[in-house]
Amino acid sequence: MLPYVTKALSNLFKKPSTEAFPAGEPPKAAPHYRGRLHYDPTLCINCGMCMRVCAPQAITREIVKLENGDQQITFTYDMTSCTFCNTCSDFCSKKAITLTEDYMIVGTKPEDFLVSGTFIKKAPPPKPKLTPEQIAEMKEKAEAAKAAKAAAGGVAPAAPAGEKPKFTPEQIAEMKAAAEAKKAAAAKQEG
Amino acid sequence: MFEKMIDKSMAKSPWIFHINAGSCNGCDIELVSVLTPRYDAERLGFRLTGTPRQADIVVVSGPVTLQSRDRLIRTLEQVPQPRVVVSLGSCPRSGNVFKGSYAIDGPLEKWTHVDVSVAGCTPKPEAIVAALAQATQILEQKRKEMRK
Repeated sequence: MLPYVTKALSNLFKKPSTEAFPAGEPPKAAPHYRGRLHYDPTLCINCGMCMRVCAPQAITREIVKLENGDQQITFTYDMTSCTFCNTCSDFCSKKAITLTEDYMIVGTKPEDFLVSGTFIKKAPPPKPKLTPEQIAEMKEKAEAAKAAKAAAGGVAPAAPAGEKPKFTPEQIAEMKAAAEAKKAAAAKQEG
Repeated sequence: MFEKMIDKSMAKSPWIFHINAGSCNGCDIELVSVLTPRYDAERLGFRLTGTPRQADIVVVSGPVTLQSRDRLIRTLEQVPQPRVVVSLGSCPRSGNVFKGSYAIDGPLEKWTHVDVSVAGCTPKPEAIVAALAQATQILEQKRKEMRK
């Protein structure tokens, strides 16, 4: 009887076990909870690996070509399509994708569920244009280098690399005998 | 005066009807856990009903499968106006991992207007409570518009 009474009395002065959530702040998620995705476009290198590994195809990419040759790349992650499996984050070599602990993904419009980021991929610098004189000069230089190489080769011929060592007939016979002995030993062990 | 009283009491006890449109049961379990003492949505007046005719809020979970599609539409038609449709989890809005399957005829937006959505696979009970709270506000608004 006593334990019940003490329990009842102690419960009277305890906080209720029901979460007061709609009244107060929502409680924190468990550690390593996989909630709303966070995407950092400054780290992204547009490898497209996240799109590849995404089972529900929640990731879309839009590439817009700008006038100066740059590319404006937008990645969009649809949270209503996401399974929160963390595979995109695992495969992201630059760690641009992380799953945060924000689980309150509630909304009325489709835009409430989209996570997107945009970055600009710079076009490679244009090739330097050479005048005909410069090209001729470069050709002359290359020819001179070739000639110098040929001259060096003529003075001191390099030793032939791929020549087989020559054996006397006795040496060959010896090697054959050794190989046969080995074979016989192996056959004995097996038998 | 009588109407006002009814409105007030209706706003304080929105009844929920739950439709499983081919869900994997994950979201259904979370919805039931919302009504348990830990999260206790019943203190806010929410109550699960067994019939769509008494419901104010319809909670749909699961991608709309071919088998459940006709039943889903029939059940939704039985819910009296004003009604609020809440989609639970990622599946009803997009199909989730079942997207592109021959057995799926979704998303839910194709068949009815979805007022509130909760994303997550599965959503946390707190998120569901937040969505239901939002749904009650929408319900009140709809009721006011209907009175006019």
